[in-house]
Amino acid sequence: MKTVTKNIFLALMIVLAMSSCKKDEIMGNTKQVLDFHWHSKIGTQDAKYGVEYTTKGGVKFELTDWRYYVSNFVLIKEDGTEYKVADKIFLINIANADYSLDSVPVGKYKGFKFYVGLDSVTNHLDPTLYAAGNPLALQNPPIHWSWNAGYIFFKVETLFDDSEDGTGSPDTESFHHVGTDNLKRTISLMEPFEIKSGSDKTIHLQMDLLEVFNNVNLKSESVTHSFGPEAPLAKKIADNWQSAFSLD
Amino acid sequence: MIYTGLLILLFTCCKKEDIPVTETYKLEIPKGFPQPTIPENNLPTEERVAFGRALFFDPILSRDSTISCSSCHHVDKKFTDGLDVSVGIEGRLGIRNAPSLLNVAYQPVMFWDGGVPNLEQQVLAPIESHFEMDFNLISVVERLNQNENYKAMSMAAYNQLPSIFSVTRALACFERTLYTGVSKYDDFVYNKNSNALTDSEKRGMEIFLGEEGECFHCHGTYLFTDNSYKNNGIYLNYADSGRARITTLASDVGKFKVPSLRNVANTAPYMHDGSFKTLEEVVEHYNSGGKPHPNKSGLIVPLNLTNQEKEDLINFLKALSDEK
Repeated sequence: MKTVTKNIFLALMIVLAMSSCKKDEIMGNTKQVLDFHWHSKIGTQDAKYGVEYTTKGGVKFELTDWRYYVSNFVLIKEDGTEYKVADKIFLINIANADYSLDSVPVGKYKGFKFYVGLDSVTNHLDPTLYAAGNPLALQNPPIHWSWNAGYIFFKVETLFDDSEDGTGSPDTESFHHVGTDNLKRTISLMEPFEIKSGSDKTIHLQMDLLEVFNNVNLKSESVTHSFGPEAPLAKKIADNWQSAFSLD
Repeated sequence: MIYTGLLILLFTCCKKEDIPVTETYKLEIPKGFPQPTIPENNLPTEERVAFGRALFFDPILSRDSTISCSSCHHVDKKFTDGLDVSVGIEGRLGIRNAPSLLNVAYQPVMFWDGGVPNLEQQVLAPIESHFEMDFNLISVVERLNQNENYKAMSMAAYNQLPSIFSVTRALACFERTLYTGVSKYDDFVYNKNSNALTDSEKRGMEIFLGEEGECFHCHGTYLFTDNSYKNNGIYLNYADSGRARITTLASDVGKFKVPSLRNVANTAPYMHDGSFKTLEEVVEHYNSGGKPHPNKSGLIVPLNLTNQEKEDLINFLKALSDEK
């Protein structure tokens, strides 16, 4: 009888101990925070407004706006299975490099992928319904087409030097507004990484605007809104996105 | 007595915090017209309509505070502007003819090209367009929050200070109070007043509704539009690609949403770009069968109308004008 009481007491103690400790202190964390350090580069330099840069084609320019949407993050596990990160949409802007996917499962991964752009449902939801601070809320300057309800996935505006000999000053406006459902692109960054229990992970990646403008002549291809005769230039830019990304 | 007063005060204070309890606003829907579909989060109330009406006529929505919604949608021009294409701030010319807002509650999609799905979102376009108000909703909201009157109106209407939500809702709510449907034609059809139309107008109606004109295929129903997109062959090459601007499909080039014909005699000029100045020009165009654009509607064929028939048809179109 005494033994039974003792056993019950012991069992109770164990239960108590287990419930008082957090699960992860016994088993280790099953999830850790995954952050991004997301650099906006122009060649080897950090992208800044009001600084002069030169395209690979030799055209001088200053950045006046560069923002883009990324969404639908998928982490690819070592065994090839995928972990889809729900509801994470970032509006990447050059002034901020810190974006977080929050908690994701610990483990070894082969790489990850994401959209530049938005899925076709999210793209056409009513932007007036989001609270300020939500990346999908209306922005100033806008990054949503009010005349064809949908988001501008990728927006770059510059002042460039349109002089023939390149000795002028960057004072001609360029507009590259890339969007519409057809122009979202899946970006894959396949380098192995591990998320270890007990330590949050930061992935460093960068997008290089000079690669976005690879084979784009800023002087003759200075405007696209992704529609009609301007659509091919938008597609050209969207097709450059993958090679413009790299891991640091 | 004081306690009762306090209780009432307390009660009213609390009530304000709730989602506004709305007395329903009585829409003046014309006889024979159905109830329009209205989003549940924007059912009409006196306060919402009042807020929307105030915004509609206030140039505060444009960058330089020079134009309002009513600059292109004049009350005395059946909510159009009588111009070929709209004029924005600093005299900037748009590319399209301003449509009437009367009966806009029945529009399934907005604009000549159907690019926006509802009135609430439509509000963004003229405010943001470089060729219209050239402003930004965020800036509009900042301005309105400097204004005690608008702060009070927004609170009363949507229980929040002026916001993107309340501004877009209020304007849409006001626009859904605008109807037209009291014409000689309506008197003839809905009141069964056989004397409402003259003989010429009746003959014109037969051309319109019959196989001779076939107008009703696209300009049918109580709205005189089926809201489809059609290329009516006014050009061989379209400077404005119309519906194709949204869909990017070659088969949509030159297609525009069929406009209502209510008040058509009072809403010249015509077509998406205001290129036809009179009803006579319009009827002459359809009588000719239009230009052979590959996307032209199969219904646009030469009609061989006599001069009398053309006159009758125009007289019928004039009978679609609101009597009010």
